[in-house]
Amino acid sequence: MDDDQSAEETAFVVDEVSSIVKESLEAVIGRNTYEHKRVNQWTSGVVEQCLGQLSKLGKPFKYIVTCIIMQKNGAGLQSASSCFWDNTTDGSCTVRWENKHLYCIVSVFGLAI
Amino acid sequence: MADRSDLKAELERKKQRLAQIREEKKRREEERKKKEMLQRTENVSEDSDLDRKRRETEALLQSIGISPEPPLVQPLQLLTWDTCYFHYLVPTPMSPSSQSVSPPSETGSQESIDGGTVGRTLQWDTDPSALQLLADSVHGCRMQRLGASKIVQIDFMPKELVTYCKETQTPVASDQPEEEEDEELSVTKSEPVPQQLEEESSQEAEEVHPRELTNEEKEQIVHSEDFLFFFDRSIRVMERVLAEDTDIFFDYSGRDMQDKEGDMQAGSNLSFNRHFYDEHWSKHRVVTSLDWSPQYPELLVASYNTNEDAPHEPDGVVLVWNMKFKKMTPEYIFHCQSSVMSVGFAQFHPNLVIGGTYSGQIALWDNRSHRRTPVQRTPLSATAHTHPVYCVNVVGTQNANNLITVSTDGKMCSWSLDMLSQPQESMELIYNKSKPVAVTCMAFPASDVNNYVVGSEEGTVYTASRHGSKAGIGEMFDGHQGPVTGISCHNAVGPVDFSHLFTTSSFDWTVKLWSTKHNKPLYSFEDNADYVYDVMWSPVHPALFATVDGNGRLDLWNLNNYTEVPSASVTVEGGCALNRVRWASGGREVAVGDSEGRVWIYDVGEQLAVPHTDDWSKFARTLMEIRANRGDGEEEGVLELPA
Repeated sequence: MDDDQSAEETAFVVDEVSSIVKESLEAVIGRNTYEHKRVNQWTSGVVEQCLGQLSKLGKPFKYIVTCIIMQKNGAGLQSASSCFWDNTTDGSCTVRWENKHLYCIVSVFGLAI
Repeated sequence: MADRSDLKAELERKKQRLAQIREEKKRREEERKKKEMLQRTENVSEDSDLDRKRRETEALLQSIGISPEPPLVQPLQLLTWDTCYFHYLVPTPMSPSSQSVSPPSETGSQESIDGGTVGRTLQWDTDPSALQLLADSVHGCRMQRLGASKIVQIDFMPKELVTYCKETQTPVASDQPEEEEDEELSVTKSEPVPQQLEEESSQEAEEVHPRELTNEEKEQIVHSEDFLFFFDRSIRVMERVLAEDTDIFFDYSGRDMQDKEGDMQAGSNLSFNRHFYDEHWSKHRVVTSLDWSPQYPELLVASYNTNEDAPHEPDGVVLVWNMKFKKMTPEYIFHCQSSVMSVGFAQFHPNLVIGGTYSGQIALWDNRSHRRTPVQRTPLSATAHTHPVYCVNVVGTQNANNLITVSTDGKMCSWSLDMLSQPQESMELIYNKSKPVAVTCMAFPASDVNNYVVGSEEGTVYTASRHGSKAGIGEMFDGHQGPVTGISCHNAVGPVDFSHLFTTSSFDWTVKLWSTKHNKPLYSFEDNADYVYDVMWSPVHPALFATVDGNGRLDLWNLNNYTEVPSASVTVEGGCALNRVRWASGGREVAVGDSEGRVWIYDVGEQLAVPHTDDWSKFARTLMEIRANRGDGEEEGVLELPA
């Protein structure tokens, strides 16, 4: 098999993934304010759209997508994550996004199959 | 008939077509069904193939599981499923049959780890090549080292909520003594107490907080003597401030004046008020003459000579400016074909402006007409003037007035303002029957219509008279060493008569004070460093006159203060030579014309401009001193002239 090609095709490209995530954030949340009734739709919508786009890439990866939406109320937030995996093939991408009324953190972990 | 048959034929054809279409549809459906049947059978077989492959992979996986590999590399175990998401994980349908194998989302979610479930759920890798990959990857050196990744941290800073906390301390109400005696005592006590407090504070460096006074204490203070005195004084000042904008701090008792006399006077004496300049008409022209209107004290007329840069513009321009309003454009604009060397308002005719020109013509403008050119002009003939006219003056009374003009060839003409076609009388000013006087300036003493004084280009000054046995040039006054540029007779009216005095300015850098009774100057003012172009006595103050020189300096001399130096002096902005100076009729403003076409108006301070009643007597004494000094110095050639 073409190892090089396969290596490229099977690498976790952070930029690609982050652009997918940002697009889905813009599409789902956009400029909306934080409304408690609608926020759950947004989180699930973001995750679904991200996963859909990621699977369309057709790469042999398992994806884990998490989405956190926090209202801008002046509170502070701190989060950390780490993985024990194969650093050569696996990768993660965390996207921090905000609009005027809320913060959003989307993490995508891609584990090569 | 034919139509009907045609219609029928068409209907039949359509029916046939419909039947054909139906048959075709049926056939297609049957074919599809057959195909489906076939495909199903194939799929079944495919399924069986798939199953076999899956079993092989399962076997492989199991083998790996058995092999002594680190327990990490285990068949990927399904941990948890989230029901919602799994719907979307169905891969693109490879064949319709695969759809029939419904995604075991619900069924598979809870099932334990089985190879079967693994097989069922691994639907997206039905492609054999992918399976191969899987096998290889599982087989091969996928036992690579696993390591920990970098820790991804995310944080959002909390916003600092800025809160303000304000405390108010209500004053602790002290027990108020009910009797007044107690209050007085407390007041008296408070006086020594603050002293003690101060001592304490100085010793202990404590802060003394000012306590808020009670209403009774406030009332007490308000009625106290000190306060009433202060309040009384302040009320007066405040009332003055609110009503006026002059010096409110003036102390009539004179205590302040003694200390600051010199400084105060110098500061406010001569201040710039405004200037008049017109871009079009005054530019590049010299102001040759100025005059204030006797009827309207705010009107000022200025005459200008040629503008060499604009040959197509008229040579002579006369502008009437208005002091009352802030506008920067002249009230009236007049011109004529020759440079206007002297100008004046007609004394008893408020609408007329008279100008003497370089060509010898006298021009008369009327502001009632809309014309900018003169309404009347004297003829250019030998009967009138043929030389530049530097002096124009209207003398007389309301009913009997004449315009007196003198040109530089020594000719004096007297005109009636109604008829300028020929002079009423004319006279040659000749001295000693031989030498015509080249007159540059002329002045009439106050309320004198017959006698006047003239200054000449040679530096001599003459008296002259219009009528009488001694008509013509009278005495000669010799003293200046250069052409006399300006002459002014004393015109302040007061208890003492100084109308015999006149001053002259000259190119010899000096200004001289003369009396008509002596043919030598009484005094010579030698403070200037350039040609002195004009001099004029104040119309109200007996001892005050103004001079202008070529350095741009405007000087005010108050002879009651100093005779050696001017009492006030200012250099006009730009430093252009100043050609003319004219006091306003009130004696509070001075108009100065310069060589660039600007007219500057200066305000003269009250201390300087307004005379006190004793100024006249003071001036008389000053004159006596001057005469006494001069008498000591120069005795030669002084002729006492008959008055």
